[in-house]
Amino acid sequence: MDSIIFEACLNNFHYLLGLILNGLIVGAIYALMAIGLTVIFSVLGIVSFAHGEFYMIGGFVTYFLLENLIDIDIYIPVIGTIATIAMPWYVAILLSGVVTFFLGSIFEQTFLRPMFSGKVERPGEYAILVTFGLAFFLQYLTLAIIGPFPVKADRFVSFDIPKILGQITIASNRIIAASVAVIAIGSTLYYLQRTWTGRALRAVSQDKDAAAVTGINPQRMNRFAFGLGCMLAGMAGATLVQVFSWVFDVGVVASAKSFVIIVLGGMGSVPGALFGGLIIGVVEALGTGCFPDPSRSLAYRDAFGLIIFALILLFRPQGFFGRKL
Amino acid sequence: MFKRKYLVFLLLLTFVLAACQADPEQVEVIVTRVVEQIEEMEVTRVVEQTVTEEVEVEVTRVVEVEAPVEVAGRCAPTDPGEVEEILIGASAPLSKPGSVTGGLVMQAAFAIAVDDVNEAGGVLGLPVNMVLYDTEGLPERGTAVAERLITQDCVVAIVGEYHSAVGLTMKEVSNKYHVPTIFAETYNNDITGVQYPEVFRIAPTSAFTAQMDAKWLQEVGDYNGDGEQTIVIVAENTGYGTGQVDNALTWFPEFGLGEPEVFLTEQTTQDFSSVAQRITALSNVPDAILIKVTGEQSYNVQQQLYEGGVDPAQSIMVANQVALNDEEYWENVPDGAYAVVPRIGPWASSASETGLAFAEKYRAIMGRFPEAYAFEAYDSLTLMADAINRAGSLDPDAIIAALEATDLEGAAGRYYFPYGIDNPPQDSGEAEWMWHQWPEVPLLFLQYTASGQSSDDIEVIWPETYRTSEGAVVRPE
Repeated sequence: MDSIIFEACLNNFHYLLGLILNGLIVGAIYALMAIGLTVIFSVLGIVSFAHGEFYMIGGFVTYFLLENLIDIDIYIPVIGTIATIAMPWYVAILLSGVVTFFLGSIFEQTFLRPMFSGKVERPGEYAILVTFGLAFFLQYLTLAIIGPFPVKADRFVSFDIPKILGQITIASNRIIAASVAVIAIGSTLYYLQRTWTGRALRAVSQDKDAAAVTGINPQRMNRFAFGLGCMLAGMAGATLVQVFSWVFDVGVVASAKSFVIIVLGGMGSVPGALFGGLIIGVVEALGTGCFPDPSRSLAYRDAFGLIIFALILLFRPQGFFGRKL
Repeated sequence: MFKRKYLVFLLLLTFVLAACQADPEQVEVIVTRVVEQIEEMEVTRVVEQTVTEEVEVEVTRVVEVEAPVEVAGRCAPTDPGEVEEILIGASAPLSKPGSVTGGLVMQAAFAIAVDDVNEAGGVLGLPVNMVLYDTEGLPERGTAVAERLITQDCVVAIVGEYHSAVGLTMKEVSNKYHVPTIFAETYNNDITGVQYPEVFRIAPTSAFTAQMDAKWLQEVGDYNGDGEQTIVIVAENTGYGTGQVDNALTWFPEFGLGEPEVFLTEQTTQDFSSVAQRITALSNVPDAILIKVTGEQSYNVQQQLYEGGVDPAQSIMVANQVALNDEEYWENVPDGAYAVVPRIGPWASSASETGLAFAEKYRAIMGRFPEAYAFEAYDSLTLMADAINRAGSLDPDAIIAALEATDLEGAAGRYYFPYGIDNPPQDSGEAEWMWHQWPEVPLLFLQYTASGQSSDDIEVIWPETYRTSEGAVVRPE
């Protein structure tokens, strides 16, 4: 009788460990995307269907900054000389975050604000339609401007691919992407927990009216939260443009994954999004790596994550960290 | 109140009229056949000098039923005198999930073909125009697009398409409405294998490419010298990918190769790290990894396999033909030195004068040498225009007969269709998919032998006739 698990998963510890490490790396990036979505949901109470498009824009901004701002001549008046500098990759990532933050804020101010000022009759449906519209607009605008051909940034840092425990191969660009994701997630958590604005955001997410009584402007927080969510998606894209080939619709799948993750972790829960991202990453990697039929293992990749998703919803409908109603 | 009643009455009247309408498809089929039979009878009777009254009566019947046919189904007139321009339908994927890259390339090639045909005097003295629709790579969109082209836009023929899955559904519509169709870049065997009179193809079949792969792999032999020849295929889960896998499973053993290890992937998958790990965990190191994934996804697969530990010194990576876009390839697959790239259609060194003229116009628009599907799109339209010219009519049967008699030097080679209605391939012991199939699709195996190499300097490694390298593969130093 054929084994129900690929043999290497049972008798090759390094193979199994490699799958888990790769899963954690991908999961950390999923989590960064999903945290952005969950911040938007918890403060504004809407699901942004354009989240993947900010991920896409973040990638393209980083790519063009790194490709076009190489060897820039800058005149330094104090010493009267011209210095040639190249755009450092981490600055490009931060700038991508800034660009997507402002784009998101402008969109919130222009299209979502009427929802909160009572000018829209059915705000729930309006939010779905307007973010869907934005998603298509951004995709096809990018297609028109940049074209359909894939681009990819050079590896941010080139070093020999390390072999962990002598056998496990993990690509250097993935290690960098995951490291950036971890730093961005840590900074976001710190910001939300330890700063006045972070606390204000959390207050608005719990009770808008009560927050307003204490002097917090909920509309300003809405705009800030939407911008922050878009910024995190943009930074996730910025880290991955050196890993995947980048095209105008690259965000569609990433966006769908984020929806699954925030439901799995608990709608509106930042730790839930982090945990959900890691779980989905590892389950997909193990499912693909251990499914006995190699011809089907990759085709079922999304299904492995969805099985866990369905099981969690069955036994814990509020997700891992969601509040019970 | 009165208005509402009036509306309800109108609605009911519409339903009653619609219910009373005859089935358009049945009428169309019957009429086509009757016309053919009567024409034959008329000639025979005249020659034999028998009673002519019967013939006259039957001809009158034909005239009576001809009018509703055009309303019911295909609306293209058969008399060129009734049109101001010859309208040819075209299809290509211009949005996702189809290959947008492929679709835009085909769109550019179609436009060049229309210009060239019109510059050469048009068709039947009339200008040619093209109606191009986006199929999105979706089979159901293929059906809808073909229906619209035939019943709304009144095209006389259809050309193009990139995705096999779409071609498989479009061919049914072409057959239903009896519209001549040339498929440009659809490999699945069944497209011509069902032997519809209307359907022609100038792309290779999956069986053909599998045989070419097998012949080349047979010559390469045990690349990594581990005593066994192990082949891995990473294919997309589409009509193209599964067709390639099925044919590899059929043909590889025929050429003495073992059954390949297969990994199917969805079109939306981006992360292939787990597959890389599975491949490196195989008990035998693969001698060749064949990537049967289209478009930019093939770059993701290839680069991630390298990053996951696949060593070009041990395993030959056979990339998708998009890898010949060198700038794009090296940007997306920086580790892709020593990859082998199958090339369908002519290469710069082997193109004909017509091919080079097309390539020059294409380069002016797209900035590079035409992809195989650009050649195929261009040739599908010029072949159809040539057939309509020779048919001297817009009658589908006349166009099909003219296509079967094609002998034309196109951009990608000399076109002819050796098997068809009067000479089915099975009568000559050939496979069923050779029906209306161009048999001489050029296929080369090329290889990048240095990082960042221009595709103009690429080595031709197979077949031996065109070989510029020392053997069937160049090994890393």
